[in-house]
Amino acid sequence: MKKFILKILFFILPIIVLAVVADIFISSQLRNSKTFAHGELAIWKDIYAGNIDSDIVIYGSSRAWVHIDPLRIEDQLGGSAYNLGVDGHNFWLQHLRHLELLKHNRTPKTIILSVDTRSLQKRGDLYNLEQFLPFIKQKEIRNYTSAYEGFSYLDYQVPFLRYIGKREAMKEAISIYRGIESDKMIRVKGYKGFDEEWNSDFDKAKKKMKYYEVQLDTTSISLFDSFLKECATKKIELIMVYTPEYIEGQEFTKNRSDIIQLFQEKSEQYQFPFLDYSNDTLSYDKQYFYNAMHLNKTGAELFTDKLIEDIQQLRTLRETQ
Amino acid sequence: MLFNSVDFAIFLPIVFLLYWFVVSKNLKRQNLLIVLASYLFYGWWDWRFLSLIIFSTLVDYTIGIQLSKQDKKHKRRLLLWISILVNLGFLGFFKYYNFFLDNFITAFSFFGNEIQPNTLNIILPVGISFYTFQTLSYTIDIYRKKLAPTKDLVAFSAFVSFFPQLVAGPIERATNLLPQFGKKRIFAYHQALDGLRQIVWGLFKKVVIADNCADYANIIFNNSNEYSGSTLVLGAVFFAFQIYGDFSGYSDIAIGTSRLFGFNLRQNFAFPYFSRDIAEFWRRWHISLSTWFRDYLYIPLGGSRGGNWMKLRNTFVIFLVSGFWHGANWTFIAWGAIHALYFLPLILFNKNRRNMDIVAKGKIWPSISNLFSIALTFGMTTLAWVFFRAKTIEEAFAYISDIFTLALFDFPTIHPAYLFILLIIFMAIEWMGREGKYALENLGLSWKKPVRLAMYYALVLMILWYSGKEQQFIYFQF
Repeated sequence: MKKFILKILFFILPIIVLAVVADIFISSQLRNSKTFAHGELAIWKDIYAGNIDSDIVIYGSSRAWVHIDPLRIEDQLGGSAYNLGVDGHNFWLQHLRHLELLKHNRTPKTIILSVDTRSLQKRGDLYNLEQFLPFIKQKEIRNYTSAYEGFSYLDYQVPFLRYIGKREAMKEAISIYRGIESDKMIRVKGYKGFDEEWNSDFDKAKKKMKYYEVQLDTTSISLFDSFLKECATKKIELIMVYTPEYIEGQEFTKNRSDIIQLFQEKSEQYQFPFLDYSNDTLSYDKQYFYNAMHLNKTGAELFTDKLIEDIQQLRTLRETQ
Repeated sequence: MLFNSVDFAIFLPIVFLLYWFVVSKNLKRQNLLIVLASYLFYGWWDWRFLSLIIFSTLVDYTIGIQLSKQDKKHKRRLLLWISILVNLGFLGFFKYYNFFLDNFITAFSFFGNEIQPNTLNIILPVGISFYTFQTLSYTIDIYRKKLAPTKDLVAFSAFVSFFPQLVAGPIERATNLLPQFGKKRIFAYHQALDGLRQIVWGLFKKVVIADNCADYANIIFNNSNEYSGSTLVLGAVFFAFQIYGDFSGYSDIAIGTSRLFGFNLRQNFAFPYFSRDIAEFWRRWHISLSTWFRDYLYIPLGGSRGGNWMKLRNTFVIFLVSGFWHGANWTFIAWGAIHALYFLPLILFNKNRRNMDIVAKGKIWPSISNLFSIALTFGMTTLAWVFFRAKTIEEAFAYISDIFTLALFDFPTIHPAYLFILLIIFMAIEWMGREGKYALENLGLSWKKPVRLAMYYALVLMILWYSGKEQQFIYFQF
């Protein structure tokens, strides 16, 4: 029996050593990826390296990072800007970026918070979990991601376990090591405009169901409240924005008006402006969208310019008061 | 819990260490640990179904003892029928209730009468098709006076619930497995090491071969009307390897795991894709099920006694029932019927008992005629797999008719080179190891240690590289 156990241990030992080395190697290489995990890795890297350091920061979901161009904001409003919109996630995970941002970068003067009907929902699955793979040892990443179905308890503890089966991640790490980088998708200061035409996602969704009812998550609402309180206390200029949404998509969400009402109430409670572009002319023109929820590049540029103008007006109004 | 999961990777060493370091000196404690571990293993899926397996255990334990006490034939028959009805009753309800109801309604509406269906949302308990047959073999063998009943409830419970083979076989016979629970197991180094090798090979077949083939088989089958005949052929071939890798891989892990605990289970797959005819295929594929049907259905029906008509009838019955055992769908029955039709000429011309040894035994290469026979048999079984995989009979027929078009000669639109290489390596290893109980049994034992180790590390690294999807074992749905 002793011989058997020793044989297994001696067989497993090199695998364990390899696992530890592989974990370190893959994590260190993946952190340098500009394109993997929809470009989110590059954003996390900038956060942890203290490269954000911006006057204006944009928070939100994919409707933030494809709608609001920080370079245009820099040009017209001055100062520095960065878009921290996180694809596919609600406010719960957007808040994680906020926490880590403040830990490793200076506090921004202005936060543009893109909100929508899904913001205060909380999805069950850890969408695009690949973005967390090299950063899983960060305390807040563990705290926040463990609230989802994605990583198991052992993934956080055992080296390399989370990489098993993630062949694309391992291939990406090897490509980066060899100096071969894919240029499929690059986000500039967190933003990318999609030069695409209208697709059939919405039509397919309509065929599946007549409408969609958003289930609000109470912990997300509490977190949202805490966040607003924090911005008020730290005197951060917070601007809540409901970016354009194609009109037919608006009609698809059953309890949309209740959710907008909630944002308006929060805006009044904490005295932050809430700019709602649901009825803007952009929302009525399909040519500016590639699906019901997302503006294409042309639409995003037009919208960013409108947003900048409205922010300037807000600031002027505040100064005169 | 799945064999290829982190949960099982933690569960197994804990049970192993407890078994050999804490309870090894006492038979009853060894068996009790097996029972508790097996119930934990089974309950991990759904604890509610533990009541089913416990009830089935108690019924058959009691009936076994009563059978041995009873001399009167009609009472013995009654006891046997109680066991059969309880076991097949559970199986019938959980697996076939909605199927029979749907078909009953369809038949009724054919005559112009509409009935409102009352289909139930029945969850199929994992492994029910396997453990019910296993316990039935116990009571039937006692009835036939081939086996004495056990009075040790713990040993019997361990026999019924033994976790390595509980959910997808091999379907063990009480005559083979139950006596092993009657003797204290002593740790045997070579048996345990061989068991580990078999586990590694089983994981390789499941994770590397089956799961990779599944990806492409699913793409092709789910969108079959978009692909050319040649691609559809590839889809069927990928499925053939998926089901083989999946099921035989599971059996290898089950048998290997059992050996870690000092148990010897029956071989369940003996390189069926090297078969030279359909009869040989069925002597090599899911052996525990085909022999179960042979011993408990085919032979009681008369077997091969009587004329050709009797043989044909019994063969058809076996294949149709076997098909139906696999699932509550006409596609499985059609699959069984196709194999029965394949068998027909072999029975009529008395050729079903040829090819009893493995092909090219003691040789490196097969003969040209053997190669042709292997290819033909593989082609026939692959064609039948289309029915097994399809959701409906119509889908299966559409798939096959789309194969036999001029596009059969086009270059396939899906042709993953890495998978072809993997399959070639896999079949080469299977070929080289075909004279053993599993491919790796003797392979490499005469090689120098570093080379042998390199092979094992290569297999383990490939398993780790391809892991992660945790695709369900196909046979869990049975």
